[in-house]
Amino acid sequence: MRRIRAAVTTAVLTATLATGCGLGSDGSSGSSDSAASAAATGEVKGKVSLQTWALKPKFTAYVQGVIDGFEQKYPGVEVDWLDQPGDGYSDKVLSQAAAGTLPDVVNLPPDFALPLAKQGLLLDVAKADPKLGEEYVTGGLDAYRFAGLGGTFGYPWYLNTDVNYWNSELLAKYGLDPKKLPTTLDELIAQARTFKEKAGGSAYLMSRKPGLGDLVDAGVKVMAEDGRSFTFNTPEAAAVLDKYRAAFKEGLLPNDVLTDTYAGNSKLFTAGTAAWTTAGANFITTVATDNPTLAPKIVSSPSMGTPPLYVQGVSVPKNTKNPAAAVALARWVTSPENQAAFSRLTSIFPSTKASANDPLFSKSDGSNAGDAKVVAFTSLAKAKMLQPVQVDDAMSTIVKQQFTLAISGDTSSKQALDTAVERCNQLLKG
Amino acid sequence: MTHRRWFTPWLLAGPALIWLAVFNLWPAANTVILSFTNAKPLGGGRFTGLDNYQRAFSDDQLADALLNSVIYLLICLPLLTVLPLLLALLVQRRLPGITFFRTAFYTPVVASAVVVALIWGWALNDRGLINGVLRQTGLADSPVPFLTDRWLLLLSAIALTTWKGLGYYMVIYLSALANVGRELHEAAAVDGAGALRRFLHVTLPGVRPTMVLVSVLISVSSLRVFSELYVLSNGTGGPGGRDMSVVMLIQMYSRGFTGHLGYASALSLLLFLITLGPMLLLTRLNRKAA
Repeated sequence: MRRIRAAVTTAVLTATLATGCGLGSDGSSGSSDSAASAAATGEVKGKVSLQTWALKPKFTAYVQGVIDGFEQKYPGVEVDWLDQPGDGYSDKVLSQAAAGTLPDVVNLPPDFALPLAKQGLLLDVAKADPKLGEEYVTGGLDAYRFAGLGGTFGYPWYLNTDVNYWNSELLAKYGLDPKKLPTTLDELIAQARTFKEKAGGSAYLMSRKPGLGDLVDAGVKVMAEDGRSFTFNTPEAAAVLDKYRAAFKEGLLPNDVLTDTYAGNSKLFTAGTAAWTTAGANFITTVATDNPTLAPKIVSSPSMGTPPLYVQGVSVPKNTKNPAAAVALARWVTSPENQAAFSRLTSIFPSTKASANDPLFSKSDGSNAGDAKVVAFTSLAKAKMLQPVQVDDAMSTIVKQQFTLAISGDTSSKQALDTAVERCNQLLKG
Repeated sequence: MTHRRWFTPWLLAGPALIWLAVFNLWPAANTVILSFTNAKPLGGGRFTGLDNYQRAFSDDQLADALLNSVIYLLICLPLLTVLPLLLALLVQRRLPGITFFRTAFYTPVVASAVVVALIWGWALNDRGLINGVLRQTGLADSPVPFLTDRWLLLLSAIALTTWKGLGYYMVIYLSALANVGRELHEAAAVDGAGALRRFLHVTLPGVRPTMVLVSVLISVSSLRVFSELYVLSNGTGGPGGRDMSVVMLIQMYSRGFTGHLGYASALSLLLFLITLGPMLLLTRLNRKAA
C-alpha cells in the first residue's frame, strides 16, 4: 500500500513539474523570416480567418462587405469571420494564444500585441510588406513597434483621440464664458475656482484626477528609451500632482475623484454634475442617447497639451498556415478605401496617409457632433500614445492609487511618485 | 452470493476523484509551483525561489489588506454570530405573518452580492440617498464621505456584509433551534428559570456547535471578502487602494494579458494559510468546551 502511495505521489509530482504550469522559456524560437517571405511571395488563396472585436451586429453589413470585396479580388480565397463579444476579449485572445489557435488575422490593440510579440507569436509585417511606411501614418505604425523588439507587429486599423467636452449651460450658469474655454491646467484651475464659488458644490468643473498623460504634457518622460524602467518620478511630475492636490483641498474637485474609475468623470458629465470631460470623437452621439437634453448644450475644444492617440490594429500570428492570404487580408481590411468607408459609419479616423485630405473629417456638418469630429481629426496630427504599452493593468492600478494618495494629501507627491515608479519597475522586471 | 471485484469501488469513486484531481488538486499544486516563479499568462516564467514571498512580507499593500481583513473579522464575527441568533429566536415564534418576516430577512441573501453592493453604492455616495437625508435633516452640512474615506468605506462594506449575511445565518440557527428539545425549556420553566436563564442555560448550549460552525464560516468569508469592497470602491480599492482585501490584491496582480501570476499565487497561498488559523482555533476551542 505504502509503495502504491509513493508511486502515485511521485507520478503526480513528476506530471506537475513536467507539464511546467506555464513555465518555459521566454519567446519563441520560430523564425519570422520564413513566414514573412511566404507572405510576400505566396499566392493568395485558400481559407483564412479574421477575428474582430464586438463589431456585430452594428457593423455586420460593413465587415461582410469588406470580406465579400476581398473574396472577389482574390478568387479562390474563403474568409471565415469570427466576431468576439466586447467583454472578456483579452481572456479569449489569451486562451487562443496559449493554445496556438489564434485566427490568421486578429484585431489586437497595441497593449494586447506587445505580450504576444514578446513571446514571438506575431509576424513582423514590415518584413512581409516593405511599403508599410508609405501607406500608414507614423503614429499608427509606432504603436506596433515596441522598444527592445525589432519589427512592426500589426497594421494600424483606425485611430481616435480625446477631445474636451464642456457643458455650456453649466458654464454660463456658474459665471464662465463658453467661448473662453481654458487651454492649460492653470487656466482650468482658475476657472474651476470661479465655478465653485457660484455652484457651491452642486456641480464641478473638474472631476478627474491626473494620469500618466498629464505628466507627459508637463514634459515628463514616463519611461526610459529602452523600455526597461519607468522614470516619471521627477520634480515636474510632482509639481503637476501638487497643483491637483491644492485644487482638491480647495474643494474644486468632488470627493468621488478619489475612488472613481476612468468612466467616473464622463458619467458625472452625462448626469449634468460635471461641466468638463474628455472623451472620443463620438461622445456627443452617446450622450444624445443617455441624456438627450444635454447633448445640444455640449461644446468641444482640443485637448489641453498633447492629445492622446488611441490605436486599433490587426496582427497576423507567426504560425498562420496561410501567411500570404493573411497578410493580404490584413492589408485589405486596413486599406484607405475600407477605412474611409468604416469612418463614415462611426466617429473613428483612418490610419492611412491617403485619408488625410478627406473632407469628411476636415469639414463639420454644422452640428456640435460634427464640430467635435473635426476637432478630433485636427488633433490627430499631433496626437501621441501618452501611456507606454508596457503599463499593464496592475501598474495602471498602482499609478492611480499613488496619485490618489498624493491628491488627497495622505502622502507627498514625491513619495507617491517614487513608490509608483518603484512598484512599477518591480513588476516590469517580473 | 455476491461477487466483488477489487476495482468496483474505484469505478464508483473514479469520476469524483478525477473531478477533484483536475479541478481542485491540480490547480492547488499549480498555485504552489507558480508561487516560486515569475510566470505570466503567456509562456515565460522562471524559478525565482522565495522572491515572491520576500516581496509579500515587505509589501505595504498586503499589510493594509491584512489589517482590513482583521478589522473585518473582528467586527463581523461577533455581529454575525449573535445577531442572527437573536433574529432566529424572534422569527421562530409562531405568530401570524411571521413567514413574511422570515422571507424578508432572507431576501438579501438571495440577491446578488454585486447588485446589492451597487444599490448600497448609490445610497452611500456623496449625492446618494443617505447623504441627501442627512443634509435635508440638517444632520450634516457637507456630504459624509462614506465611499471616499478609508475607514468609512471599510465600515460601509462591513455593514453591507452584516446586513446581507443576517438572513443566511438566521436560517442556520433556525434549524439548530428546532433541535433544542422543548421539554428542556419546559423543565427549566418548571424549575423557575426565567427567559434569560433559559436562553443562557438551555438555548445556548443547544446551539453551541452551530455557533462554532457559523463562526468558522464568518471567519473564512471575512478574510476572503471581495464583492462588497470591490463594488463600493468602484474596483479601485478605496482612496489610494488602502481598502483592498487580500483577494482584491490577488485579482489586481493576476488579471490581464500580462498578469503577474507568480506573485498572485504567493499571495493566494499566504491567504490560504491565514484562513486556516481562525478555523483551527475555533475548532480547537469548541473541542475544549465540549
